[in-house]
Amino acid sequence: MEKDNGKNNKIPFDEDNYTHNIHKENERLLDRRGFMKTMVGAAGVFAISTLPWGGLAAKELMGFHTKSYAKKKIVDIASLSIGESAEFSYPSEHESALLIRLGENEYKAYQNACTHLKCPVFWNREEEKMVCPCHHGYFDAKTGKPTAGPPRRPLPEIAVVVENGAVIATGVKRYET
Amino acid sequence: MKRSYRGVIMLCVVLFLNVVCTQYAVNHYFHQKYELVLIFAVLNIILFPIALSIYKKEGKSK
Repeated sequence: MEKDNGKNNKIPFDEDNYTHNIHKENERLLDRRGFMKTMVGAAGVFAISTLPWGGLAAKELMGFHTKSYAKKKIVDIASLSIGESAEFSYPSEHESALLIRLGENEYKAYQNACTHLKCPVFWNREEEKMVCPCHHGYFDAKTGKPTAGPPRRPLPEIAVVVENGAVIATGVKRYET
Repeated sequence: MKRSYRGVIMLCVVLFLNVVCTQYAVNHYFHQKYELVLIFAVLNIILFPIALSIYKKEGKSK
């Protein structure tokens, strides 16, 4: 056995030492400093990850987002008595909308795809509410807010003006939840 | 060798604030409060140099 106590039994030995090169127990485990380094890195990742949100917010604030809508005549005042409604489409022909005359000079228009499952909402004159027939969702005509049924979000409102005896759509109001 | 874990705790606090700020920034974006989004995004960016300075100060084992 004595003759084996050569170079190969001394650990660590100086040359060719590729495997027994850990001098301290648990040296390779994550130490305090390495852990702190990881945390600083994580803080950096967080900082960078908010940059796109900040950029998008700045873009919104600078007003590049404001879409311009073309004016569109909806209906003549003479053909729409108080309490009646008219269907139209705005801004594109595939987005159906509903105009309601609530008073002498009170017009409200909404995109009438129900905020629940996109069924077309219609104006119920007797109940003075907008009704979605699919699942009995009800919307307040003055604000567009849901009052009963499955929809939880208001209908997007369309801005209207009265010009030369006609009601004209001028834009879709910013969607507020 | 005596270790101080003060730096680790401070970095934990910074990282927690990072999580909070990120969460608020994203939520305010969806609620369209863009000024608040900017505030929280800037806070989040400021936290990184703070973390770095904590590491430089506390990283050396005394």
